[in-house]
Amino acid sequence: MSWIVVAALAAGVALQRVVGMFLGGRLITKYPSTARLASLIPAAVVAAVVAQLTLTDGTSLDADARQVGMAAAGVLVWRRAPFIVVIVTAAAVTAGLRAL
Amino acid sequence: MTGDRSSTPPLGVLFGIAATFFALGITVNVVVLERIESEARTFVAAVVINAATTELAYLAVRDAGGGLLAALIAGWVVASRFGLLAASLGARISVGRAHRLAIALQSFDPNVGLAVQHDAQRDVIRTFWRVTAAMHAGWWSGTIVGIVFGNVIGDAGAWGLDAVFPAAMLAIIGNLLRERAGFVAAVIGATVCVGLLGVAPAGVPIILSVSGAVVALGIRSGTHQ
Repeated sequence: MSWIVVAALAAGVALQRVVGMFLGGRLITKYPSTARLASLIPAAVVAAVVAQLTLTDGTSLDADARQVGMAAAGVLVWRRAPFIVVIVTAAAVTAGLRAL
Repeated sequence: MTGDRSSTPPLGVLFGIAATFFALGITVNVVVLERIESEARTFVAAVVINAATTELAYLAVRDAGGGLLAALIAGWVVASRFGLLAASLGARISVGRAHRLAIALQSFDPNVGLAVQHDAQRDVIRTFWRVTAAMHAGWWSGTIVGIVFGNVIGDAGAWGLDAVFPAAMLAIIGNLLRERAGFVAAVIGATVCVGLLGVAPAGVPIILSVSGAVVALGIRSGTHQ
């Protein structure tokens, strides 16, 4: 990763954020019917990120202790456990299973 | 949600987010440092790219023998979700151009995910910046620890640190999942994403997960538990 690559990646990421905020946000504001869509996008996108990080190795499905840790985290989220308890449990269960 | 001060994230949540990004900073920068073998470039990349998944996607494609352009495109595409998140937040706030730009450049999953759960703009913005501050506190300290002590820490997976970020994301959208439409959006978005992995180019499954939100538009508001 050369300095030019670092700059190119940084510029591309920043540009998408700015375009999303100024053009995407304006589009949603202009057409109020899309506001409901905007409120649902984080749920869909973040859940996709969670699924990808949990169920795959990045490119294909992958069985791993991480999934058991995430199952424990899911139960705790459902039971409305404190945030810190959720993440510590996920890490502890995952690390514990890998240590076996 | 209500618009009172108590509706912004409690300290426990902010601490948890900081801890999550501390773990993420270590995990990501140990990997990046191992690949590019330069503490200075690892640090600058963490600062200016400001998107861990972009760094990892670029390196993954290069590791797999992919060309420079393919790796750059993969890095940019996986960051496209930040544009979507910025757009969803942009529609909720009415602030000056400079403030809007600052918010755009700091749009991530946790701060937008928590901010959009509020109705009042004051709470949206306050939540956004508080979560952003917690994220950066954790990310910077984790980055420094990852770069300085990377060789000592070794395999971050052995500590279960790779489970911390997805667990935190799940906790962040917990309230959205309790709403019927949010639950449907999440399930469909996750299914589409996983189903397209290995079929669609890197990053595209995440973009197409937005289809979950589109389908959920037809769901009436309400909780399902």
